[in-house]
Amino acid sequence: MRQTSTDKTGAWAIMVRSMVQIVRRPLLWVAMIGLPLFMFLFVTSMFEEGLPTRIPAAIVDRDGTSLSREVTQTLGGMQMVHLTETPNSYTEARHLMQEGKIYGFFLIPENFQADLLAGRAPEITFYTNMVYFVPGSLLFKTFKATAIYTKAGVAMSVAQAAGQDPETAAPLLQPINIATRAIGNPLMNYGIYLGNSFIPAVLQLMIMLVTVFSLGQEIKYHTSVRLLRMARGSIVRAVYSKLLPQTVIWWVMSVFMLSWLYRYNHFTMQGSWLWMILSELLFVMAAQGFAVFVFGLLPNLRLSLSVCALTGILSFSIAAFSFPEESMYPAMSIFSWLMPVRYNFLIYADQALNGRDIFYSRIWFVAYIAYIVLPITVMWRIKRFMAKPVYAP
Amino acid sequence: MRKFRNFIRGLFEVYCREFKLVLHDPGIILFITFLPLAYPVIYSLIYNPELVKEVPMVVIDNDRTALSRELVRNIDACDEARVIGYAANLGEARHAMDSHKCFAILEIPEGFERKVGRTETSPAVMYCDMTLLLRYRGFLVAATEVMQEMGGEISTQDLNRIAPLAETIAPGDLLPINNVSMGNIRNGFDSFIMPGVIILILQQCIILALGMAGGARREKSSLIGYNPHNNSRSVFGTMTAQALCYMTLLLIPAIYMIHYVPLMFKFPMAGNVWEEIAFIIPLMLGSIGVGFVFQAFVTERESVFVSWVVTSLIFLLLSGLIWPRYDMPPVWRALSDIFPASWAVEGYVKMNANGAALWQVRSDYLMLWIVAAGWGVLAYVVQRWIVLPSIYGKKKHETVGKSAI
Repeated sequence: MRQTSTDKTGAWAIMVRSMVQIVRRPLLWVAMIGLPLFMFLFVTSMFEEGLPTRIPAAIVDRDGTSLSREVTQTLGGMQMVHLTETPNSYTEARHLMQEGKIYGFFLIPENFQADLLAGRAPEITFYTNMVYFVPGSLLFKTFKATAIYTKAGVAMSVAQAAGQDPETAAPLLQPINIATRAIGNPLMNYGIYLGNSFIPAVLQLMIMLVTVFSLGQEIKYHTSVRLLRMARGSIVRAVYSKLLPQTVIWWVMSVFMLSWLYRYNHFTMQGSWLWMILSELLFVMAAQGFAVFVFGLLPNLRLSLSVCALTGILSFSIAAFSFPEESMYPAMSIFSWLMPVRYNFLIYADQALNGRDIFYSRIWFVAYIAYIVLPITVMWRIKRFMAKPVYAP
Repeated sequence: MRKFRNFIRGLFEVYCREFKLVLHDPGIILFITFLPLAYPVIYSLIYNPELVKEVPMVVIDNDRTALSRELVRNIDACDEARVIGYAANLGEARHAMDSHKCFAILEIPEGFERKVGRTETSPAVMYCDMTLLLRYRGFLVAATEVMQEMGGEISTQDLNRIAPLAETIAPGDLLPINNVSMGNIRNGFDSFIMPGVIILILQQCIILALGMAGGARREKSSLIGYNPHNNSRSVFGTMTAQALCYMTLLLIPAIYMIHYVPLMFKFPMAGNVWEEIAFIIPLMLGSIGVGFVFQAFVTERESVFVSWVVTSLIFLLLSGLIWPRYDMPPVWRALSDIFPASWAVEGYVKMNANGAALWQVRSDYLMLWIVAAGWGVLAYVVQRWIVLPSIYGKKKHETVGKSAI
């Protein structure tokens, strides 16, 4: 990084120098502003519809009677399903699924109506392609509902045949009803589910990479000696003053992220804005702290960037945004607790999604503080490498 | 003829020297060894338990009858849920949920059994935490299963009681319902996401390695400790040679990823391995093309991390693994179409999990070749008129290349 021609010393001078470095480096504009903004827009607009609808599917009607056509009509009327193909056999339907033209199919066997009326209990089978989890699960739900309706219709006609009037027979079809209430996300909106975890994780990734990158540049281009001199030999002053302007930019980004998610996109926000803002501000510093710590352990630009890239990308999985931490192998789930974004996610779940009392989130905030303090332990190492910079490719 | 011989010789020289360059750069070595070898393993280990089982829940039983207890017992017996205890009222249950001890509350109202006795529909409510959809899905499945099973029993009893004749018309289950999960028969999360992620990792490690190699060419040789330049007289020859070098280096890691990783972790492996190898070749070529284009934006070796790593997430979302491609907003669908990984994920998953043959994924395969060719042409244009002039200025790059060889 080029040196700014000032011989001033002290925290303010370092901050000015750091700002100039950001302004002069388009890569940093992209990394700090461009990419995060793109990701905010990308993730939320990808899931704008909430859930995919009209999933391509097929029905194999081997019966061809009035009853089987009725089933076809019921299925075709479901919102989630779009019956695009009309295969004549299981094999044909399976080929269509292999080619990716449909995500599942519903099979009505031969002699369906006749067997049903004769009490020979024909079987309805439906097949869903669970290689695609979301469309597969949604089709499963729709197929199952259709099958249950069909069954209910049959039970109804049996009851009527036995001399019951429809009104008294109706409750027989469903004696117990367990209604599920999805708290905070009643429509199972995928944006709410993934946006709230993925977007802060993107921010964490970029914060860590930029932090390590800008510190490593000082060593790569041997400007760290000058940085230390400007800080009058204090490594704490050097690092903190260098990173503070970045912190401010990240703060602005994170607060914008909050307003993007909860104001513009109207994601569930049941808690207090104050705690969420505090969480984001601390989160930014925690991610920076984590990165400085990594840099202290491995003051090689490429290696520390590799570690931050690895942990930053793995965070999307290991921080348990989709697969719960308690279901992982214990040896893996430990790592879940090592990433700052995990605490961001837990605070979001407690505060924004569920509107819980801050009391229940108190530990997550303490974790942030731990990350912020963590770099103190490696400052001496950073100082040693900054005083005698060696670039190893 | 002589010209052609020179071209081949230049190509061969660049090809050989490129190996040396790669071996001199620990960064690139890391991208083509550690990344493809270790990353899929770490990822697979995270999700390897596959299923979310025994998610804790609490029950508020205001009925306290044989039937309500049976309901709770049946839900507890489901694979997906585990009843950790009873709460006296909603406040107590909420406290348990707020303290992260459970993720659902089942509330059974007073008169639950009485309503069943009156042949009315008897309701219960399950409040679910929506932080993770997999947990919610488990509760939903458990509730539906129990509801149907118990409901079936009760209605058969009732039916027989009110209409004794019904038994003669329809004994037992009138219409059994079966379902089969294709491709991923256990509905496992690892088996669902990993085969696609493997393809994404392959694309990303190729692009990152090429990006870093491009960055090295802009660094001072004294700083990085070796001469990173490697050109023949023909730009096309140089690019072909470099592409061949990376193909050679990545062949074994690629086979390891598409065949041995699924083998180790027992992912679905319904495809023919030779067809799969044939299928990923255009993916690798296309990714090399993207890498050559990316070199135009790389000004130093390490900046690839800052500018490219986050795109892994973009490609994951574009691949259609999470959100199906047919339903994407048109802009993102178009973006998805121009990158090799999207087509490759789709085709590979169909082959690997659904057992499709190469001819069945012909449209993906064809698109993959078209996309690879497109990136190849763009790569040539970018290298010829942007990358090389920006590194070597007006000086003819071939002379630089010659001295470098």
